[in-house]
Amino acid sequence: MKEIDARGLSCPAPVLHTKATLEQEHPATIKVLVDNAASQQNVERFLRSQGFEVRLEKEGIDFAVIGKCGTPGAAVASKAAPVATEAKQKILVMCATDRMGFGDETLGQKLMVNFIRTLKEMGPELWRLVLVNNGVKLAVAGSPVLEDLKAYETKGTTVLVCGTCLEHFNLLAQKQVGQTTNMLDIVTAMQLADKVVNL
Amino acid sequence: MIFPTDENVLVGLDRADDAGVYRISEELALIQTVDFFTPIVDDPYWFGQIAAANALSDVYAMGGVPKTAMNLVGFPIKEMDIGVLRQIIQGGSDKIREAGAVLVGGHSIEDSELKYGLSVTGFVHPARVRIKNNLRAGDRLILTKPLGTGIINTAIKAGLASAVLIEQVTRLMATLNRGAAEAMDAFPVHACTDITGFGLLGHLAEMVLGSGCSVRVESQKVPILPGTVDFASMGLVPGGAFKNKSFRQALVAFADGVDAVMQDMLFDPQTSGGLLICIESQQADALAEALTRRGVPAAAVIGEVLDDPQEKIFVS
Repeated sequence: MKEIDARGLSCPAPVLHTKATLEQEHPATIKVLVDNAASQQNVERFLRSQGFEVRLEKEGIDFAVIGKCGTPGAAVASKAAPVATEAKQKILVMCATDRMGFGDETLGQKLMVNFIRTLKEMGPELWRLVLVNNGVKLAVAGSPVLEDLKAYETKGTTVLVCGTCLEHFNLLAQKQVGQTTNMLDIVTAMQLADKVVNL
Repeated sequence: MIFPTDENVLVGLDRADDAGVYRISEELALIQTVDFFTPIVDDPYWFGQIAAANALSDVYAMGGVPKTAMNLVGFPIKEMDIGVLRQIIQGGSDKIREAGAVLVGGHSIEDSELKYGLSVTGFVHPARVRIKNNLRAGDRLILTKPLGTGIINTAIKAGLASAVLIEQVTRLMATLNRGAAEAMDAFPVHACTDITGFGLLGHLAEMVLGSGCSVRVESQKVPILPGTVDFASMGLVPGGAFKNKSFRQALVAFADGVDAVMQDMLFDPQTSGGLLICIESQQADALAEALTRRGVPAAAVIGEVLDDPQEKIFVS
């Protein structure tokens, strides 16, 4: 069992030391000793996010976090924090219009409705749904996919709706779902995403 | 401990609001506030900007206009080059000017730890002071900056934040609450505070206590900086978030779907956060629109005031 003494270190050093140790030594079991409850919770959360099964113990006045390298499947059962397994990626889908493809408008709108509804097959990997230009119309009163978008939000997908676009169409007050966003948020999200799908 | 007071003190120690307010005449009251801290970012000019924006914010949170400011400096003159201090002060003074106020002096001492901030004086009409806890059932709550600066600053310290994110959060912290305050001025706002070290729920608790009302917050409506959830899920949550949570835990009831990461984000200590405005529900959308038109970082309706005298916060 690899042991780390992170007592006397202030945040975020305990998590950083643990991360560095995992990256360099790949221990199957690890014990991290810290001197406060906040650091204990942070290290616990970090180890769970790396697929470890974690238990907490008190050692005198100090706090210990003991981790055993579990299978990614076992760690998913933990409700404390979302787990970053190999398979889970962050997908950003950007809809710059309210229809799919060109040629026939009615067909395009039907296709977009179907697309938005089928996105649920991405499961928890659907990380961000960004709506710009005509795409913002999908998030306002009267849109056929409002309930679907609200369901995605409840499941953890962040729905971002371009504020400038809403203003341009005079639809600010009609937005029913999602957070109003700006270009910097969108660019940052694109950089952080593992995959960007642009419609 | 009893502190002396007089009848011109409109907001003093007995209320613990964002600043002190003292009536000078029928039309004029003075707002007095002070704030300083250790470096938040590496760049000295931006540190000055952020510290100044943070100090000026309390004047806006009271519904006033900043007029004069003085520097507060602790500097390790033997170890650090004086040029660093010059840049910090430049950042601060540019921000003071941006607020329409004037730098009139300051004080420095030698200190092993670098510190900077301001003491600020502002004006407000005595009848228009926006205190914290004048909540009315049915009112809506509007937040003018996204959350996440505490967690992201921890990620920055850990060297895990991208350059784009560092730039974004630096600019956000340096953004004055002036635009939000000016938008708010045209509306009959009931209460207001700014979101700083106690986190959204910590400062909301200060609004709720003494109000005779309770509040519901819809966590999905709270604007949060990109990257915050991911860093919080990795355990990069500052110690202050835990302290904030344990301090106010008794007042807050989280619904089952609100996971530990969201709870931490709602208690995440903010640096130079936005205003949390309480306004009657018919006017909420109009205020949100006015805020968006002014380009403030967020204009999110995040919750409502409930007709429930328990003085609790329900987070769904």
